[in-house]
Amino acid sequence: MTATSTLLSSSTKAGRRRAGQYLFRGMTILALLLVLVPAVWIVVGILARALPNWHFSVLTNTTAHGGLSNAIVGTLLITFGVGVLAGIVGIGAGIHLSEMSSTGRWSTRADGLLRGATEVLSGFPSIVLGFVGYIALVVGLHWGFSLLPALIILSMMVVPYIAKSTESSLNQVPTSYREGADALGMSQGHSLRHVVLRSGFPGIVTGLLVALAIAVGETAPLLYTAGWTNQMPTLALTHSQVPYLTYPVYAYYNQPSDSLRYLSYDAALLLLVLVLVLLVGARLIVARTQRNAETRR
Amino acid sequence: MTASPVPADLSTPPGRVGAFREKLRTSESAFWRRGTLAAAILPFVALGFALIVLAIKGWPAIIVNGTGFFTNSSWNPGSTYGATTYIHGVAVPQGASYGAWPLILGTIQSSFIALVLAVPIAIGAALALTERLPRWIARPVTFTVELLAGIPSVLFGLWGIITLGPLLAKHVYPPIASVMPDVPVLRFFKAPTGGGQGLLTSGIVLAIMIIPIIAATTIELFRQVPALNQDGAHALGMTDAEVTRSVTLPWVRRGIMGASVLGLGRALGETIALAMISGAILGHTAVNIYSPMTTIAATIVSQLDSSFTDSTGFATATLAEAALVLAVISVAVNALARVIIHRSSSISAPVGRG
Amino acid sequence: MKRDSQESLAERTPSRRRVRIALPALLAASALVLAACSSSSSTPATTTTSAPKAAGVTLLTPPSATVSLSESGSSLLFPLFNAWGAAYTLRYPNITVSTASTGSGTGISSALSGTVDIGTSDAYLSPGQVQATPGAMNVPLAVSAQFVGYNVPGLKLATGSTNLVLSGPVLSEIYQGKVTNWDDASIKSLNPGATLPNLPIVTLHRADGSGDTFLFSQFLSKTDPSGWGAKIPYGTTINWPAAPGALGETGNSGMVQACGTTPGCVAYIGISYEGKSTSAGIGVAALKNAAGKAVTPTPASINAAAASFASKTPANGTLSMIGTTAPTGYPIINYEYAIVLGKQPSATTGQAIKALLSWIISPTYGQSSLYLDPVGFVPLQSQVATGSMAQINSIS
Repeated sequence: MTATSTLLSSSTKAGRRRAGQYLFRGMTILALLLVLVPAVWIVVGILARALPNWHFSVLTNTTAHGGLSNAIVGTLLITFGVGVLAGIVGIGAGIHLSEMSSTGRWSTRADGLLRGATEVLSGFPSIVLGFVGYIALVVGLHWGFSLLPALIILSMMVVPYIAKSTESSLNQVPTSYREGADALGMSQGHSLRHVVLRSGFPGIVTGLLVALAIAVGETAPLLYTAGWTNQMPTLALTHSQVPYLTYPVYAYYNQPSDSLRYLSYDAALLLLVLVLVLLVGARLIVARTQRNAETRR
Repeated sequence: MTASPVPADLSTPPGRVGAFREKLRTSESAFWRRGTLAAAILPFVALGFALIVLAIKGWPAIIVNGTGFFTNSSWNPGSTYGATTYIHGVAVPQGASYGAWPLILGTIQSSFIALVLAVPIAIGAALALTERLPRWIARPVTFTVELLAGIPSVLFGLWGIITLGPLLAKHVYPPIASVMPDVPVLRFFKAPTGGGQGLLTSGIVLAIMIIPIIAATTIELFRQVPALNQDGAHALGMTDAEVTRSVTLPWVRRGIMGASVLGLGRALGETIALAMISGAILGHTAVNIYSPMTTIAATIVSQLDSSFTDSTGFATATLAEAALVLAVISVAVNALARVIIHRSSSISAPVGRG
Repeated sequence: MKRDSQESLAERTPSRRRVRIALPALLAASALVLAACSSSSSTPATTTTSAPKAAGVTLLTPPSATVSLSESGSSLLFPLFNAWGAAYTLRYPNITVSTASTGSGTGISSALSGTVDIGTSDAYLSPGQVQATPGAMNVPLAVSAQFVGYNVPGLKLATGSTNLVLSGPVLSEIYQGKVTNWDDASIKSLNPGATLPNLPIVTLHRADGSGDTFLFSQFLSKTDPSGWGAKIPYGTTINWPAAPGALGETGNSGMVQACGTTPGCVAYIGISYEGKSTSAGIGVAALKNAAGKAVTPTPASINAAAASFASKTPANGTLSMIGTTAPTGYPIINYEYAIVLGKQPSATTGQAIKALLSWIISPTYGQSSLYLDPVGFVPLQSQVATGSMAQINSIS
């Protein structure tokens, strides 16, 4: 206790501390508001622009006839494809990083390198990946703007996320499960399939859904791999351009033609709905498994 | 755990059937081992592949542009309707010269502004979120933050250019500009405020986009702080503010640095939103904080189509060089962030948008 | 846009699509066509009808198979090409045309790489492009023009004048950043009697590869050869000098939108967007032509300029029509080009392309005022149309 503080009455010091506490509370709440307000603002802003001019024919007509059905189908197609491709690779990578612990100096270093590469790939700028896809796949392999380059490039973007969430949800599976399986004489493959993956399943699916939400919202990579068409996409993997919902938002927002601008807002709305569905789905899975889980996390 | 080499399953029938089943079992394990190893190698391969493709495509430009690429400011496609000259053996339209300094500076400036704004807000929000909030608040709030992370970047661009930009230009920038004294450094903030498409607006929108990833990492870091230390401080009678200042924040200081660098990595690669709100100006750097500028990523998006009209291919090669520069910077920043985070705490950094 | 891969071209080195047809515009155009063309009932044409009035233009028959043609390119031509495409499909329902407004630069590069069937551009091919893709041709389809728009609140024109007068040299100074305010002496001297406010000039230019940039930069080069012309080579993308507050926009629509909302702006815009610009509050400048007269882009002034260049147009259609010497001619006009490959990979597509293009340049059909008037274009002079027909016939 310094002389100064003994001179100050305890009530002022307490008052200062209390004021400090209120200030702290206030600032954290302000910060939280600064985070929440833009999110709500964006959603409300898009609703406000899309709803007044909404008509359900947007869902049934292709863009050639003033609607977005082709873009919706294209986005769903791409999402499904990415889910399969990135899902297989990502879950596989996650299993490796979590389950296949290796002994030996080289293996651990290699594992560290693989994990590092996975993490670093996640931050790769999306346009750069799109550009690479364009040079190597669309032009280099002569596939043209089509589904396959789009799937490959988007998968490259989301595989790290799926791998990470798979790894962390598998890490949460109690070791006792694995030990029990080993004690029963199950081979590793068998125990993976029947024990470990089964219990880590909800976490893996959640990670997959959130990764798909990221993929749904991408524009730049698709501009240079999927192209665009105003007709329904075919299921052809190459030489057939694919429409997607982010394109009208980017391309039509400043058109003088009212109908095109409304399409842009409608596409924004549909994108929000799709992202919401995926995020809510992920949350529901988490909630359901927490209810059913034997061990609370 | 490794598969046991000797079948220990008592239910294995003896003889050839047993041996066959055993072979299936071990080969299944082998399948899992090899398959997952292949899957884990793929990102590594993909990363290397991307860098190699860019280097090959950009090689002519690297030779011609040289180190001046990083210092020059002009973005000159040259005489596309005129003669073709040859520099170091590479065909180039006459007079073509590309300098990426405005792009690099614009990237740095917009990311810096975004960090300055995002880090305090993200930390504050993380502090608010780790409070024990009543359930009816906690659920929607955390969901809204997740939603912010999931909003597509093109929607941020749309909102920035239609709503936020004009609003800022009309109601926020003029007051700020008018109170700024006309002294050397602060002159950067005093200017014709334009229509909202520019550096400051880009920085603000970028900040909003990177807050989720910084906040998510910070929340994880806060959870790492030993409860004992915090409870002890509370027991001594310290208020929440004092506990945070003296116990929590010092504990996570390095981790927060790592989280910020992570956010920086995301900001560097942001493309579409910036392409829409930055003003797309090549050839010179931002004159003041409100003026239009560009970033490397936004330039690639807006110039890629035009580059194809250069029949020598030089313009496209230059964009590939720019993409390579961005890729290298982004890889370096991300790697740095993760090293900091891993070294300073036992959490693993989030991946993706946060 | 191609839909099926059955008729896909061998190499696709495509570039980005930006905009697609808006149905209401299509419907409006189609309604006009239905009203006017009595013979355009649903039967697919099986006979060849030769177009009257212009010797040398033959209306070719499209194939009977269903063909989906893709077009991409000039935003200046986009509104008109929409109308043409819709009308053509009404006449021959088995041929559909899918359009995109991506900018002339993209139009050229996609056509040359084979990604689209027809690329449209306000700019002709560069020597390098012709060399890189032998057999590629630019076929004149119509004559269009470009105007300079301005948004100067507080401007009071002299009594009796309806447009602000600007000239190439002054615009060159403005875009170089040497003239920065609307009340500058050089602008005042062009507009005696007008009151010009003290308002900073905001120059708008196209950020994408644009035929309008090509035309404007050629105009500035020709009218200011020692200043602009010496420093800045023209093209669809150029090295814009640093003017204070300059903004880059995408597409003609971006220029209109930005100029309408930016006080003090000056922008170069294609004439097909004149109506939209005027309703957005953008004024049309009267430009000083080579004879010294201040001219606005009207069908009469555009025609006067086009006529002066008709005999100079070479067989391959490559001609710059900037800076006419005709006394009443408008200085910034151009041919709208269809960029097509001379050697088409698919015979059916090639036949469809030839048929469509021949319909477009035919005076009774594509060149009628029904389509050209709403966008402010004028038809090709007859000798130019003959030249285009010859080019079309050479497509195989």
